[in-house]
Amino acid sequence: MSIRRIDGLSRRAFLASSSAFALAALAGRSLAQEVKNIDPSLAEKIPIADPSLDLPPADGPFRWLDSGGQKGVFYRQFFPKYAEARGIEVVYDGLPWNEIATVLPLGIRNGSAPDAFNLPNGMPPAVAVAEGWVQPLDELIPDFEAWKAGFPAGSFVEGVNVIEGKTYGLPYTSERRCSSLLLFNRKAMELTEFDPGPDSPLTWDQFRKAAAQITENSGGSMFGLIMGGNQGNRWSANLVQLANRAGAACASSVAGCLTGVDYRTGEIVIDSDEFVQAMELLLAIRDDGSMFPGIMSLNAPQARAFVEQGGAGMILQGPWNVPIWEANNPDFDFGFTATPAPEGKDGKTIVDALPSAANTMYVNAAAKNPAYAADVFHYMGTLEGQVAWGNVVGPSDPPIFPKAAEEAEMSERSKAVIALQEKQVRVSPVVYARSPGFTKVAQLYEEPTPNLANVVQGLYTGQLSGVKENLSKLKGAMNAALDKAIADANAEGANVRREDLVYSDWDPSVDYAS
Amino acid sequence: MSATELHISHAPAATRQGLAARIWKSRIDYLFLVPGLLIFGAFIVWPLIASEYYSLLTWTGFGAAKKFVGLQNYRELLQDEFFLNAFKRSFLFTLATVPLQMFISLVFAILLNNKLLKLSTLFRTMIFLPVVTPVAVIAIVIALMLSPFNGPINGLLLDAGLFERAVDFLGSPQLVLWTLAGVFVWKWTGVTLIYWLAALQTVPDELYEAAKLDGVRTWQVTVFVVLPIIAPFAVVIGLISAIAALNVFPLIQSTTQGGPFFASEVMEVFIFRIAFAPSGGMVPQLGYASAAGVLFGLAVMILTIFQIVAVRRARRKDPANG
Amino acid sequence: MADVALSRSSAITSRQSFLNPRRRRLITSVVLAAICILWVYPLVWMVSASFKSNSEIFAGGGLIPENPTFENFVRAWHEANIGAYFFNTLFVTVGSVLITTISAALMGYALGRRPFPGRAALFGLMLFTLFIPQGYTIIPVFELLSNLGLGQSLWGLMLATCGHSIVIFTLLFAGYFSQMPKELEEASRMDGVGPVKTFWYVMLPLSKPIIVTVVVMQTLQAWNDFLLPLVITLANPALRTLSVGIYSFRGEHFIDWGGMTAGSTITIVPVIILFLFLQRYFIDGLAGAVKG
Repeated sequence: MSIRRIDGLSRRAFLASSSAFALAALAGRSLAQEVKNIDPSLAEKIPIADPSLDLPPADGPFRWLDSGGQKGVFYRQFFPKYAEARGIEVVYDGLPWNEIATVLPLGIRNGSAPDAFNLPNGMPPAVAVAEGWVQPLDELIPDFEAWKAGFPAGSFVEGVNVIEGKTYGLPYTSERRCSSLLLFNRKAMELTEFDPGPDSPLTWDQFRKAAAQITENSGGSMFGLIMGGNQGNRWSANLVQLANRAGAACASSVAGCLTGVDYRTGEIVIDSDEFVQAMELLLAIRDDGSMFPGIMSLNAPQARAFVEQGGAGMILQGPWNVPIWEANNPDFDFGFTATPAPEGKDGKTIVDALPSAANTMYVNAAAKNPAYAADVFHYMGTLEGQVAWGNVVGPSDPPIFPKAAEEAEMSERSKAVIALQEKQVRVSPVVYARSPGFTKVAQLYEEPTPNLANVVQGLYTGQLSGVKENLSKLKGAMNAALDKAIADANAEGANVRREDLVYSDWDPSVDYAS
Repeated sequence: MSATELHISHAPAATRQGLAARIWKSRIDYLFLVPGLLIFGAFIVWPLIASEYYSLLTWTGFGAAKKFVGLQNYRELLQDEFFLNAFKRSFLFTLATVPLQMFISLVFAILLNNKLLKLSTLFRTMIFLPVVTPVAVIAIVIALMLSPFNGPINGLLLDAGLFERAVDFLGSPQLVLWTLAGVFVWKWTGVTLIYWLAALQTVPDELYEAAKLDGVRTWQVTVFVVLPIIAPFAVVIGLISAIAALNVFPLIQSTTQGGPFFASEVMEVFIFRIAFAPSGGMVPQLGYASAAGVLFGLAVMILTIFQIVAVRRARRKDPANG
Repeated sequence: MADVALSRSSAITSRQSFLNPRRRRLITSVVLAAICILWVYPLVWMVSASFKSNSEIFAGGGLIPENPTFENFVRAWHEANIGAYFFNTLFVTVGSVLITTISAALMGYALGRRPFPGRAALFGLMLFTLFIPQGYTIIPVFELLSNLGLGQSLWGLMLATCGHSIVIFTLLFAGYFSQMPKELEEASRMDGVGPVKTFWYVMLPLSKPIIVTVVVMQTLQAWNDFLLPLVITLANPALRTLSVGIYSFRGEHFIDWGGMTAGSTITIVPVIILFLFLQRYFIDGLAGAVKG
């Protein structure tokens, strides 16, 4: 067939319209200069200290990447002030964890990674060191030893933020947090026969009933429970902490190789009765029709927003929800309590080190502005910086200096959350401290696919059936992977044994003191 | 794809000269090839070779030592149920979308081909709009449209009493792949429609006139006269659509990222996850991902060769459309 | 569909009186209009949502916003940086279209008309790689660009984008050129014009239909491209293309549905306007791909 003739107009028309749009885009670009959302009431709570070291002129913008959320609330106030005080440009990115897992490795590979960052969730720091992502802080931060000595005991731990004697990570927030608190809309809870509070948590049965009653008594406009179901770490955290409350003494570790290890025996216990029953509780709530529809397409922040907007009554999530809701919607009336526990049980929530590994900041080995990273790190490790942090962040990522947590201005509710967490959370032994060779194990450990989070998701969506069976299968895979990592580490001279995981003197109801 | 039809002529006169002389004589021709060959070499040939080399390594991609492991990656892949499932899903997705897309767009094309239909340009434009909408925008639109919580589509289904509970189109492992297939068809039907319209223009107007004079009904003309004429185009259009459907990465990555629990993980999402977005405590495994890419590429090539053979057959039967 | 319904009813009604061609067209138009409105309904709904507050979006209301607000647009424009992303995408698209079209035309000309040694081998190689999936090549391409120092530049992205379909385009050109009459070049040779000039002044202008096809297909490809821009620009916000920018805006502002829909609206409106103006070329260009 014949092709319709296209005359000379084509090129001209195309060029004319495309250049018009290019111009429009250019004009837009200058208009689109960042408008900083500075909240004066928050910003005044953050004093900027004098430079802690001689700062060279900045090479391009100083870039900082972390997982955002309540941290972002702080840094979006802090960095504009800091940038002004130092006369530099600062670019802050607060990304969700699954974005960091993609963005950061890509950035490291093509040289565009930020100066300072959080490591991807679940990546052992030893791996980042071995792969050459990060640089030690020892030479970078001024008066390093004195600065380090200001932190509470247990802040710097070999294998957690110190690798082979060199300090890599800034541990500025405490892990003494309960990331699966039960937070609820009070109006929703009024639809039930229960009245939980910080000192009166729900039992598992009551929890399930409350979810059903909210769904039913709201006439279908509200669902009982919601979670950020497409975010794997929410599933593993909620399952582990429900099991913790039933008495399972293990943490969901940042280094995957130690997830689910009960240090009293050194065994992985993720297929114990506590875990199986916790999983069955979640499935029962799903089968009751009390779970918000479509949670598999929601991440944690979206789930949180639905609670505030009245789409769901309860959520199992961390303390960071408290300041976020208070700031977003002061009229939103919500309460909180500990993770539900089975009738007659009151297990502690276990974390595997005092500093929050997820929040720990690192300096890019190829940073363009390492001095500015050092300057900010230094500030965040002083009482002044820690109090400023506590003022803004509240109980969500508590400052690691206990004194700062006391001095900071927070709402009553926030103080109550911190008190609950002090009472509820216990720190397990840190295996790297006693057996430094385990750093190598963490580095060589190849997490099985599917991992714990995947299996919980698979069980919830019905793609996997048989709770005990699948958890046992996963436990087998994790044991095999751990044993292989130990063997591989020994081949490289790590000198570790599986028995190194046994701390027969550990009492999970108190912090482990080495 | 008439280009595949080219007859490659071996100039017989030239064989008598020396090769060097012939090359020298054609030096200007090589000059013509330079820019194209640079792109072709750098972004197609080199990656093909490099992928095969990478696939024999264990390598995280961060400058840490590459370790040669032979065919180990391939052996592991063939036992990796996630790989096999992703592989299967890629082809399932293609099998589901291509016929559907071709059928819907053919119906549209036949209806729109009527020259007297005044609004046909407007309709064509409307159907084409999703094509020029970036996939990231589509992802936002469908997340809202299909939301099980007060989303408009679920609202409709619930109001109509078709379901008791809202349908979680993107969160249900049984539905997600088919939902995405539907969205994919919606997005790309506009292009296939244009292809069919081009094919329909090869049908001479006289045929319609003649048929009408004979008192034949429109649908009969369509089925017995028009369809056989445009049938050879179906193979070409099918080929283009099939290849497009294998590149469904943008849609899936920007909607479900392969979830829930891998239920919508197709090959490229699998490769991307292993190479660029490892979850949990894993580090990127470029060797493993490359091996997956090689196997997938081989499968696609075999598929393509089959289809090219089919195109040639169809064309040979009907030389008029050559 | 309409035809089937019509033919059924035609069995009972006299065709002349009821189903005259005009009525038939009217019914077809109405049915098509309904389908097309449904077809674009999601996009219309998105535009409507961009004027709503976040809670109104999930309140299950109708298309008309109760309290229309422009706030979403202000927020999206400032925070999503759409102006810059638009420019980046345009830069990559226009650049890759220019480079691809010229390279493919040159190579297609040589392959289609010039019997140079190695031609058959090159043809074979190209056919072999005709439809390599992007998943196969993405890792080496990323490594190559990083090693060349182009791993975080729009130039690198532009060049790599040229690689996607260069083979198809070259073969289209080759096929087209090979069908042109031999006399064209002979006449030029008589006039003492060299091959380069012949190509530029004689052959290229004659290949306009294929040029339009290649320009359109490459534009659609570059505009919709995602995997490559994702790995190259995700870590560097200043370089992001529209697709990656909206993708990451969604990743960072996942609860701001109003902002997301507003950002999306800002994104597609210029594209749609551009498309409406250049529609003819899009249609002719795409049609050229199957006709050949």
